[in-house]
Amino acid sequence: SSQLSSLPLQILFYVTGIYYIFYFLATLAMIIYKSQVFSYPDDFLAPDLAVLFLMAILEVPRLYLGCKGNLQEEEAALGLSLGLTVGSVLLAVYLLAWQTYVLWADVLLNALLLSAYGLESGLKVTAIAAFVS
Amino acid sequence: VSAVAKLCGCDLLGAQCEPNCCCDPDCSPQEFSLFTSCSIPVVRGDSHLCREKAAVYSLDVEANPPERIFKIIEQVNPSIFCIYATNYEQALYLKSPEIPTPENFDELLHKFGGAAFSAEPENWNLDTEAPNPPEANGTLRYEYGLPIQTEDAFLRLPSPVVSSWCSDANPAGFLVNQATKCIRSVSVEKCERIPALNMLFYTNSSILAVPKSSQLVNVSVQSMVVQSLNGMRTLLKGNDVLRLPVVLDGLCLNIVLGVTYHITYTATGEITEAAASFVLGAISKETLSIQQSFQITFTQVNTKPVPLSGNPGYVVGLPVRAGFRLQEYPFPAEFGHSQLSILPSTSHQDCLAAQAARAPVRFGYNIMSGCKLRITAAMKCQPLAHTLLDVLKGQNFPEYVASFGNSQAQDVLDWVPITHTVISEQRISTTLQGSCQIPVSLGIEVKWTKYGSLVNPQARIVNVTATLTTTTLRQLPPGRERIIPVTSSVVFTDISAPAEPGYKALPTINIKLPFDFFYPFV
Repeated sequence: SSQLSSLPLQILFYVTGIYYIFYFLATLAMIIYKSQVFSYPDDFLAPDLAVLFLMAILEVPRLYLGCKGNLQEEEAALGLSLGLTVGSVLLAVYLLAWQTYVLWADVLLNALLLSAYGLESGLKVTAIAAFVS
Repeated sequence: VSAVAKLCGCDLLGAQCEPNCCCDPDCSPQEFSLFTSCSIPVVRGDSHLCREKAAVYSLDVEANPPERIFKIIEQVNPSIFCIYATNYEQALYLKSPEIPTPENFDELLHKFGGAAFSAEPENWNLDTEAPNPPEANGTLRYEYGLPIQTEDAFLRLPSPVVSSWCSDANPAGFLVNQATKCIRSVSVEKCERIPALNMLFYTNSSILAVPKSSQLVNVSVQSMVVQSLNGMRTLLKGNDVLRLPVVLDGLCLNIVLGVTYHITYTATGEITEAAASFVLGAISKETLSIQQSFQITFTQVNTKPVPLSGNPGYVVGLPVRAGFRLQEYPFPAEFGHSQLSILPSTSHQDCLAAQAARAPVRFGYNIMSGCKLRITAAMKCQPLAHTLLDVLKGQNFPEYVASFGNSQAQDVLDWVPITHTVISEQRISTTLQGSCQIPVSLGIEVKWTKYGSLVNPQARIVNVTATLTTTTLRQLPPGRERIIPVTSSVVFTDISAPAEPGYKALPTINIKLPFDFFYPFV
C-alpha cells in the first residue's frame, strides 16, 4: 500500500465538479424565473445572487486544492479544501432554507449538493488521517 | 381553524344568509337545505404553493333534507417549481400602499402627484400650462380645441350655460363643429342697444389667422335670410349691406336670430377665410324672449366636403341623400346632390299658402305631415293638380337615393332609383273618362336592410317607392267650397333577411414535393 491517495475521493471531485456546473446554471435560471413570475424586490434579489456567485467562486479553489492535496498526498492542501467545503456547506444551507423563494426543485438540488459535500468531507478526513499517519 | 375556512367570497350581506352561498356562516342547516347548488365550491390559497389547504363546499342532494358538506383538504401542487417555502412575508400578497408621513410625503408627491405616474420620476417635466412656448416669430398654429382668437378676445359662440339663457363668453374651438341654441331676453324698446342682436357684434372683430400673430382675417357676410313674423324665410340678394336693428311700427326689425360661421383653414393650422351667414328676424312688443341658434363649421381649403349620412351604413337621424343623374348613358353618370324632403306641417295648415322650408327626410324617422286644401268652385283642375304636385313633391324631387350613407357620386351602382306609382282613389264607381285627377297624398316607402357583419350591421337602402294617390275633383256648385286633407308620409321598413352566419372555408394544407424530389430515380 504505497499509494495513499484516495481513488473514491478523486472520483467524487470530478463528479462534484460536473454536478456543480449544472447546479449553478439551474439555480441561476430559477432565480431569473422567480423574479419574473413572483414579486422579487431588489433588496431580496441581491443577497440571493451574491450567495450563489460567492459559492461559485469558492468552488474553484476548493476543488483544485482538494485534487492537488489528494494526488500529492499533502494534508495541508486537503485541510484547506476541507475548510472551504465548510463554507460552501453554509452557503448551500442558506440557499436551501433562507432564500426568498424556495422551490421544490431548489430543495432537491441543494439536498443533493449537501450530500455530495458530506460524503466528500468524510473521505477527505479519512485521507488526511491516512496521510498523517 | 385555518384562514381558508374563514374566507367566503359570496357572503356579501352581513348578518343575512346569501342564497346558494355554501360558505356563509350566517346560514343555518334549514337554509342550506333550500339551496340548489354552491356558487363557490372551493376556497383555496395560492396555487403556487406545494402544499396548501383548501376548503371544499358541496351539497349532498341525495340526503333528505339536502345538507351542506364542508371539508378541508390538503391540495398538492405536483409541479417541480412549486413554492416549498418563502422567507419574504409579502411574497404572495398584494403590496399595501405606503402611508404618507412627513418624511416620505415629498417623495410620494413627486412620484404620484401628477395626472400620470411615470416610471422614471427624474425625467418628469411639469408641463401643465397651455401649449404656448414663447416664440417671437409666428410659427404657432391652431390645434384642435384651441379657442379661436380675435383682435380683442375670442370668437364668441353664445351657448346655454347651466340654464337655457345665452352666455356670450363661450369661445369657439378650432375644428370643433358646434351647434348651439339659447334663449335671450329682448324688448322692442331696448333692441337697438342689445349688442348680441346686432350683426356687427358677430362680424366686427377680425380673427387672427395664427394665434398670437398680427395677421387678421375679416369675417365676411356670406348670406342673409330674413324671417318674417309668421316664420317664412327669404334669402336676401345683395349681401353687402349691413342691416342693423331698427324700430319701425312697434316692431324691431333686423335682429339676429341665428349665425352660422364657416371657417376655412389650411392643413398647417392657419385660418384663411371666415364667413358668417345670418338669419335676421323681427320681434313685436309682446315678444319677451327669442331663441338664437349658432353654428360653426370648418372646411379645409380646396376641398368641398359633402356631408355624409353614415359611413357606410345610414345613421338614424341623418338626412337621406338623394340626387339626379346629370348626364345620360353612355357617359359615366354623375349625380348632382339634392335632398329628399317632405311637406312640413305648419301652423296655418293651408296647402296653397306660402311655404316655410321643407323638412328633410331623416333616415329611420317615419314622418306624416299634411295640410288642408280648400277647394272652391272657381278653381280649375289642371293648374290645381300642378300646384298640389309641387306642394307634395317640392321643387327638385330627386330621381335617385343613395344606397349607403357615404355613396359617392361616381359609383352608379350605389344609387337606388325612386320608383313612382300612381293610385287613383275611386270612391264612387262612376268614373268619367278624362276626368281630372288631383294628387292628395304622397307616400314614400323606403325599404332598407341590414348589411355586413352580424356584430356591426350597416343600414342600406334597397328600394324607394313614391306612391301618389289621386282623387277625382268633382265640380262643385258655385259658392260652395270643400276642404280636403292632403297628406304626405315617409315610412322606413326594415326588410333584413334573417342573419346567416358565414363560416370561413376550412384551411387546406397544400403540400407539394419539390419537382426533383425523387431525383436519381425519376
